[in-house]
Amino acid sequence: MRIFWILLKKELHSFFVSPVAYVVLALVMVLNGFAFRAALSVLENAPSEGSIVSWTFHALWFWLSYFFIFPLLTMRLFAEEKKMGTLETLFTAPVRAWQVVGSKYLAAVIVYCVLWLPSLINFKFAHWITAGQVELPSGAMGGAYLILVVMGMFNLAIGCFASALTSNQIVAAIISFTISLLHFLLGIFIMVVGRKISDTIVDIVNYFAATEHIRIFTAGLIDSRPIIYYLSMSLLFLSFTHHVVEFRRWRP
Amino acid sequence: MIDVQELTKQYAGRTAVNNISFQVEPGEIVGFLGPNGAGKSTTMRILSGYMPATSGRVNVGGFDVFHQSIQVRQSVGYMPENAPLYADMRVKEYLRFRAELKGLSGLTMRRRIGEVMDLTGVTDMRKRLIGNLSKGYRQRVALADALVHKPKLLILDEPTNGLDPVQIRQVRDLLRNLKSKHTVLLSTHILHEVEQTCDRVIMIHQGRIRANDTPANLTRQLRSTTLLHLEIDGIGNLAEKLSAITAVRKTTEEPLLVHPWRHFTLRVEPDHDIRDEVMELAMQQKWRIREMHRQLPTLEDVFVELSMNAGTPTDIPTHVL
Repeated sequence: MRIFWILLKKELHSFFVSPVAYVVLALVMVLNGFAFRAALSVLENAPSEGSIVSWTFHALWFWLSYFFIFPLLTMRLFAEEKKMGTLETLFTAPVRAWQVVGSKYLAAVIVYCVLWLPSLINFKFAHWITAGQVELPSGAMGGAYLILVVMGMFNLAIGCFASALTSNQIVAAIISFTISLLHFLLGIFIMVVGRKISDTIVDIVNYFAATEHIRIFTAGLIDSRPIIYYLSMSLLFLSFTHHVVEFRRWRP
Repeated sequence: MIDVQELTKQYAGRTAVNNISFQVEPGEIVGFLGPNGAGKSTTMRILSGYMPATSGRVNVGGFDVFHQSIQVRQSVGYMPENAPLYADMRVKEYLRFRAELKGLSGLTMRRRIGEVMDLTGVTDMRKRLIGNLSKGYRQRVALADALVHKPKLLILDEPTNGLDPVQIRQVRDLLRNLKSKHTVLLSTHILHEVEQTCDRVIMIHQGRIRANDTPANLTRQLRSTTLLHLEIDGIGNLAEKLSAITAVRKTTEEPLLVHPWRHFTLRVEPDHDIRDEVMELAMQQKWRIREMHRQLPTLEDVFVELSMNAGTPTDIPTHVL
């Protein structure tokens, strides 16, 4: 466990020493600002059932940031070390593969959580400046941030896996981007053809669709199924990553 | 310290290391010598626990490298080829990170980091970003990292690659000083380095061990001929008379230097010293000799000879040498 913390510290260090964390943070803040503005203008024009939280996370701006975060945070995790050869130095120190995979993943999750902190300020600020007229329902707030975190964990695990597969950061980024995009498009697919196909298929697709999860959770409805889905998938992809990293040590 | 038995490593369809066995005793400095692609790095990576072998047993300090990998890695200081380091860390920060990973902490760690930085001469660079360091300093940081946990065995993959002559000499002196405390296995293709530093040389070529002996013995066993350079003032067919000496294989006359001095190069059978016979011949013939110089084969000749002659017709051509 001691080794794990040392590695985690080092991973966080390389996130915050390199410009990566700051560039992504800036990008997310800008896009979030647009999403927030879009939500405000919806509420301004007509009375609405949705809260400002749910409108913010329904804005296309939010989804734009959603696609870019994961590849940017995870592409360098393993690919860079492979390219530089430092994976060799790392694995000839007395460290175990799970410690390396776990620390890299956890560091990415921590940075990811930090990215969403500024959006909290947006909400609090709107609430405060309108003297409470913009409501922040605790269910919507809790649900939204909960689903953001678990969805992030899932996508980061995929990104981690993609990065472990290759020594090229661009390839890793594209794999992780594609998977996040497909995940989002499932929801769009239902929106477009939902009425023409059977309800069973709609239900199955909705079970996986990120947009659907956001819709439910930002309405303040906390459903355990997506949480279990995302967490178990994260574990699955982390174990894949572990296998890829350990593969080097396999004996025929 | 190291016990390698019938080690084989195959990459997809290619055998990098083919059934090699060797031992290294504690306190020895052993040089691993061979042309590029001979299998040096592969063997070292297996020894350091980075890769498993396809078959064979490898024991380092009493631990099996595959089954007791963590124990092996604790007792080995490994410096990979080209010294890969984290470019975004500072020298001291990096060494601290590595020392912590290898189980050091507190005051002992800080002292030890200071020691290895002094030893490798990077103390002045301790606050610099590794990415901004020159190749020579990076090599030294990597060496400091390999040394930081006082490993019983040091495995250094081309430690002097890319260094300038002064730095090479420094590393060589450093290795000699380490001898009392560590066993060292280093790879190189600079022969001079091996001759100067190592107690024993293992020559490896195309995945097989071609020789395993002290540098002196290797050169002695050499099948290559010794050369004898002569400058003689004499008239007539000197080459023929010189060739008459039994151990001479071939005599060549170099272009005339300064009249009347003529320069001959004699190829002499190994383990023969014909200088006395040449002197006697010269006295008989009333030649004047102003230079006689015997050139013994170097390790370089052994190396080239082993590399060139070892191959079977199906082997990869060795002209890359």
